[in-house]
Amino acid sequence: MKGALPFLLLAPALLALVAVFVVPIATIGRIALYVSEGSGAMREAVALDTFRTLFADSFTWELTRNSAHLALLCASLATLIAYPIALFLFRTESRFRPLLAILAVAPLLVSSVVRVVGWLVVLGDQGLINAALLSLGLVDRAVPLINNWTGVVIGLTESVMPYVILSLLAGFGRLDRTVEEAAATLGAPPWRVFLRVTLPLSLPAIALGWLIGFVLSFSAFVSPKLLGGGRVFVLATEIYDLAMQAVDWPAAAAMALYALSLTLLVLAAYTVLTRRVAA
Amino acid sequence: MSRPATAFAAALLGLATLPAAPALAQLRGDMTLMAYTGIFQENYTAVVVEPFKAANPGVNVTYFAPNTSAVMLGTLRSQRTAPQADVVIMDITTAAIACAEGLVEKLTPAEVPVMEELVPLARQAGGECGPAVTFDHFVIVYDTTKVSPAPTSLRALWNEQLRGRIAISAPPNIQGLVLTAIVEKMEGGDYRRGVDKAIERLRGLAPLVQTFDPRPDGYSLILNDQVTYATGWNARSQLYRDQSNGRIGVMLPEEGTAFQINTINVVKGGPNRAAALAFVNHALSQPAQKAFTERMFYGPTNARAEIAPEALARTAAAPEYRDRVIDLDWADVVKLRDTWNNRWRREVISAGGR
Repeated sequence: MKGALPFLLLAPALLALVAVFVVPIATIGRIALYVSEGSGAMREAVALDTFRTLFADSFTWELTRNSAHLALLCASLATLIAYPIALFLFRTESRFRPLLAILAVAPLLVSSVVRVVGWLVVLGDQGLINAALLSLGLVDRAVPLINNWTGVVIGLTESVMPYVILSLLAGFGRLDRTVEEAAATLGAPPWRVFLRVTLPLSLPAIALGWLIGFVLSFSAFVSPKLLGGGRVFVLATEIYDLAMQAVDWPAAAAMALYALSLTLLVLAAYTVLTRRVAA
Repeated sequence: MSRPATAFAAALLGLATLPAAPALAQLRGDMTLMAYTGIFQENYTAVVVEPFKAANPGVNVTYFAPNTSAVMLGTLRSQRTAPQADVVIMDITTAAIACAEGLVEKLTPAEVPVMEELVPLARQAGGECGPAVTFDHFVIVYDTTKVSPAPTSLRALWNEQLRGRIAISAPPNIQGLVLTAIVEKMEGGDYRRGVDKAIERLRGLAPLVQTFDPRPDGYSLILNDQVTYATGWNARSQLYRDQSNGRIGVMLPEEGTAFQINTINVVKGGPNRAAALAFVNHALSQPAQKAFTERMFYGPTNARAEIAPEALARTAAAPEYRDRVIDLDWADVVKLRDTWNNRWRREVISAGGR
């Protein structure tokens, strides 16, 4: 009985996990094996036709490249911008620290759609930035900052940044101030202390933050859909189009499983890599 | 009136109402209508649902409004074993899927007598299942404060001055599919034989386009001065034209247009079939068709509905526009959709980098 106690305690959480994750994924897996008729009607079957079509289509690989490219860029930019902010929040002894921390992650309190609409106002052809550029005479016509890749990268980087900040803060545990002080005492200037001590010690946190940013960007839908202007094709937007426009559920389900597999692959690669580095 | 005369009159009244009595007795309980949200819901409720409720006080109608036909189909699929909706109004392509999957009933004039009054296209559109309840058609909307004189041709879009001022809903959105067929016709082709000419012509338009996925829609982008031209559907365009005091202009291109058809269906196994059939009869009836066309400018599907001339003139059912309607077979277009979609992505949108 004593040995079974941990499992009993875990049971509610496991049941919840099964209900909200395993069952939906299994349902999607089942639908992916259905067959789409020419009319668009879905026929119950156990067939791999949809997967065959999916992998034979060169556009699938283009979507994969686009998603990976976008995720790589946004995760890297977000980490680059978030790192100094997180480091400052970690180090500051200001009495406003809690307030500053809340400000840093405040975007999470706003719906992602609302945030994107905000970006439309700021980046649009008649938006604040273009209005300023035009009124200063720096450009002759509006610079296209939305309805293209630029807009998506800006919006998505901003949207994953709070998550990266939180991950960095969580990962800064190994950052020991006394080691930096020792380096400074031995005559190292601040920039060298940062490059030789602070940065290496915070690498695990950077890796974790970057991974979170990559995974979130890879599966992002709202920013590519609303800021891409129909020009940015990634796996998430394609899943939406297949399900909601073409009403081809088997294809949408197969694409969703493919995208999920890629994400799991990245997570597995991260785990293997960090274990090797730690060893 | 003498007592025997009163008794005779009462007996006559009783005889006259006898056949109707069972039908009236059945029209009780809750009925759920699943149809579009937004201004469609607002106007359809006012001029179609409310009169039905007034005529059938025993029926409590609930209007369930998902965003799109795809969501409606998803709801029907998920409720296959225990449907909660009774009537569904959805786009013809999605309704065809629901019909093929047996999610909606096959309807005959025996159960829906008003089907005999419908124009032939309305009956054909639904196949064996529910017929067309509204006809809408593709239009180009524009900002009247920036475009003068009013354009009449689709060719007005190919204008370098409009760079970054055009919003087009590209495939798989059905506006993009219709545009492809119309441009093919404009270039002397026929979509059934291929769309090479359309794709080539649209490649030339792509660099001028600000967005191929207007959000929330082209009408709003015009009203917010984000674009000057956009693709649209007539009914909503006409309504927005009125609401914007004429800021939005509506062009039915001289090169042609095509119908977007909504059909009305009885959900198979729905909770209140009698009320559902009564509602379908009502929605397709002359008064309901007249009221909704005059309210929202959807083309009527009941041939006997006498629409006010000024309202009719703002639909593709107007005599002067009828010849412009391309005979678009949606069953064919659904089969061609993937191919057209891929060509748009690889050849058109890729040529319109921003």
